[in-house]
Amino acid sequence: MQKFSFNKRLVVTMIILIIGFLLIAFSISVRNNRKAPIFVQQIGNEAGGIVDRVVGVPINGLGHASDSVKGLYNTYTENKKLKKEVDTIATQKVENQTLKNENKHLKQQLKLNETLSSYSKINAVVLSRTPSSWQDQVVINKGAVAGVKKNDPVVSRKGLVGRVTEVNQTNSKIELLSTSNDSANRFAVRLKGKDGTVINGLITGYSTSKNQLIMGQITSKEKISKGAQITTSGMGGITPQGLLVGKVVRAANDDEGLPAKVYIKPAADFNDLDVVTVARRVD
Amino acid sequence: MRISKMRYFFPIGTFLFLFLDGSLSHLFAPSFFTSSTSVESRLILLWLVLGICYGKVDHLLAWSAVAGLFFDLFYTGVLGIFTLLLPFMVYLTRNIVTFFNRSFIVVLLIYLIDITILTTLFYWVNALIGFTSASAVTFIARTLGPTLAYNLAGYVILYWPLKIFFEKFS
Repeated sequence: MQKFSFNKRLVVTMIILIIGFLLIAFSISVRNNRKAPIFVQQIGNEAGGIVDRVVGVPINGLGHASDSVKGLYNTYTENKKLKKEVDTIATQKVENQTLKNENKHLKQQLKLNETLSSYSKINAVVLSRTPSSWQDQVVINKGAVAGVKKNDPVVSRKGLVGRVTEVNQTNSKIELLSTSNDSANRFAVRLKGKDGTVINGLITGYSTSKNQLIMGQITSKEKISKGAQITTSGMGGITPQGLLVGKVVRAANDDEGLPAKVYIKPAADFNDLDVVTVARRVD
Repeated sequence: MRISKMRYFFPIGTFLFLFLDGSLSHLFAPSFFTSSTSVESRLILLWLVLGICYGKVDHLLAWSAVAGLFFDLFYTGVLGIFTLLLPFMVYLTRNIVTFFNRSFIVVLLIYLIDITILTTLFYWVNALIGFTSASAVTFIARTLGPTLAYNLAGYVILYWPLKIFFEKFS
């Protein structure tokens, strides 16, 4: 009798484990292939999103309150500095406007309606972050209803931060660039070499210990100068052109003299996200 | 027979702590996730462990599975990891607790052992499915150490309020 019950327990454990592994395999395949998660998953996510808003709002409110107290101390000196900068911004704004208009007219003359750099913006608030070291993921409060699609790039105020991996009706998940997930979708990026030629490549990884992005698959032999700006190249069909990624820190050459890896200091801070923008390419 | 209020309070608390983890991780992200540290907030486990030690809760195992499922749905998008890990931790804790009398230090040690097991298993699963390529040494130094320190602090702060709460309502 003792033996029988032991066997029964073993069988139950095995079945539970198998179901667990199947679930994991299934949801990874959904994550990598399908446009949207299945119905049941979506309902759970909507419910989670609503409860999370109830819990998260007071907590984030507290955080903002402490931030504003801190901010109060710095306001005076900051104000002085900013006043000087405001004057220059006004002229820049006007210049920007004229350039934009000129660009529009030139495009019209060329009969170019859409270029790689045009995109629509969907602003969203970050609800919460996955409490895990292995998934660099945040949840935002905009979903399919607002027009977010899977694989859209996401930018913060300063630069590119990641890509949408799962879209629900009213919230979606974003995988940050700092992920070390093997199957994460990579960004096609470009920079200007020393003599002005365009060098293309891919963001292939992230160095956690140095907080640097790694650019690989580089196409050109041109010398790369330190501090050169890296932007998305618009190749691949989903990401618009010209989203700022970061600045070159150093380029490591391989045996044949090609720059094998370029280390990039990211423009955005992946750990300080409040408001992000989903950049939906228009075409 | 009087119906225990815990029947309603326990699920509410479970979800509160589940989403508190995410909110705290988001709020303190600049200090939680740096180049040398990576803290995993596991207050949900604290709630479950103290519920086991000081409360009389019906269907605790089932609620932990539901909480794990919601963790997977909402935070990671990969089902089945926490859905199994959380009930497993509850099962384990229940078995350990029968051998000891429940004091601050003993429950603290049980909780720290639980955190270690959970974090290690979670790392192992994520390494298995290719979400991380961190070495075991990096894992211990960057994740496990800070995680234990943070959750220890959480335990010290929340032990008395939760103990009183569980003893009063069950």
